[in-house]
Amino acid sequence: MKFAVIATLALSVFVPVAQAADNSEATARASVQKLIKDNKIEAFEKSPIPGYHQAVVGSQLLYVSDDGRYILQGTLYDASAKVDLTAKRLAKVNVAKLDSYPDSKRIIFAPKTKPKYKVTVFTDIDCGYCRKMHSHIDEYNARGIEVDYLFFPRSGPGTPSFAKAVSVWCAKDKRKALTEAKAGATPAPLQCDNPIAEEYQLGISVGVDGTPAVFAPDGSRIGGYLTPDQLQAQLERVAAEKPEA
Amino acid sequence: MRYLLGFILLLIAFNVVAATPEETVQTAFSKLAPQVKVDAVQESVVPGFYEALIGSQLIYVSKDGRFVLDGSAIDANSQRDITEAARAKNRLASLKQIGPDKRIIFAPENPKYSVTVFTDIDCPFCRRFHQQIDAYNKAGIAVEYIFLPLDIHPGADKKAEAVWCAIDRKLAFTAAMNGADPGTATCVNPVAESTRIAHAIGISGTPTMLASDGSRIAPQISLSPEKLAVELEHIANNPVASR
Repeated sequence: MKFAVIATLALSVFVPVAQAADNSEATARASVQKLIKDNKIEAFEKSPIPGYHQAVVGSQLLYVSDDGRYILQGTLYDASAKVDLTAKRLAKVNVAKLDSYPDSKRIIFAPKTKPKYKVTVFTDIDCGYCRKMHSHIDEYNARGIEVDYLFFPRSGPGTPSFAKAVSVWCAKDKRKALTEAKAGATPAPLQCDNPIAEEYQLGISVGVDGTPAVFAPDGSRIGGYLTPDQLQAQLERVAAEKPEA
Repeated sequence: MRYLLGFILLLIAFNVVAATPEETVQTAFSKLAPQVKVDAVQESVVPGFYEALIGSQLIYVSKDGRFVLDGSAIDANSQRDITEAARAKNRLASLKQIGPDKRIIFAPENPKYSVTVFTDIDCPFCRRFHQQIDAYNKAGIAVEYIFLPLDIHPGADKKAEAVWCAIDRKLAFTAAMNGADPGTATCVNPVAESTRIAHAIGISGTPTMLASDGSRIAPQISLSPEKLAVELEHIANNPVASR
């Protein structure tokens, strides 16, 4: 009986909180929508932080208190597990976008045997570190790493870098044209139906803000320019991680 | 006895077993980034979090010590960045060490607002800013300059000193901002001290403008007298909630 009283007391503490949580989703969501104006909330869910929800907006994650009053943006870490929870969640958003982008629109450099790993790399012909990265392409492949290129001409549509990307895409042998352009040759100007604008938009939507931008199979961004040693190490680390941290 | 046991169980359930805020934050960082030295810990208006000060940086740590958030918080009611406001508060104390006698002040008759601007004679945007000084004053804004000559502008510290040591500081400052050579006068001056304090509170670029509550004003606002007047009014009307 005495325990029952205590149990009831404990429940009475918990129950109102549980009820409040049910209404909080709409309140918190409305608050985020007001802040981001015309932008779209792509996902809205409970956050790992008690008392908070989280919203995926473009390539960003916002945390909002259940009463809608406070909105936090930044990088959230789980201190004990040493995990960047923000990057983890955004990787999930990215992987859906990247996985649905077809092979037919990528320029693929694959090892001769079945690849162990596959990376998606946003690249720009006029970027020094992209060129340096491509100079290791045989070495990446030799380590069982498939490199799928998507174009992200940083200067944007209507610029010389963008035109070069189109020319490479429209060449008969795309891979050869890409390799030559990365070695410094100006590609012969060509025009055709091409996915460069689509790739540029995809890049923006997964948060690419510079090139090269290297994405692991789990959708997490693992670089920047990476030497073959560094790329292999990063991919092994990602593969070793539990899917749900 | 049974009550006592139940009470203890409840305590455990609610995790009341108390660690101080400092201990909680220190434990979180010792796991995540052991090299980090936490300077101070304080309560936050953001529910469920403490604020950890690391140099001029502010990091949020959840009260259970599990989560660390490096970012900023917005108060949805006022749409103000309260992380910046919290940083501002911590900045104000240091800023007060640079009193009016260590600033060059351009003020209208009855100023409505006052801003602090860290400036460098050899910084183009600082010069552009000063070209509009009359418009700022006309909008009721007093501009208090503090010298922060940048390392990337060799000799700018000597120019700042020469302006400071001129008979008419304001005249010399305006002339220097218009490209005149301020000469090489020397005297006791606050340039080195204000530079040191600026660095200590995380200000490393020019022009950097701070409102009277210590909050930093973005360049796209500070460089326009009209936008600045609107922003200062907004800040005055929406003080950040105190804890």
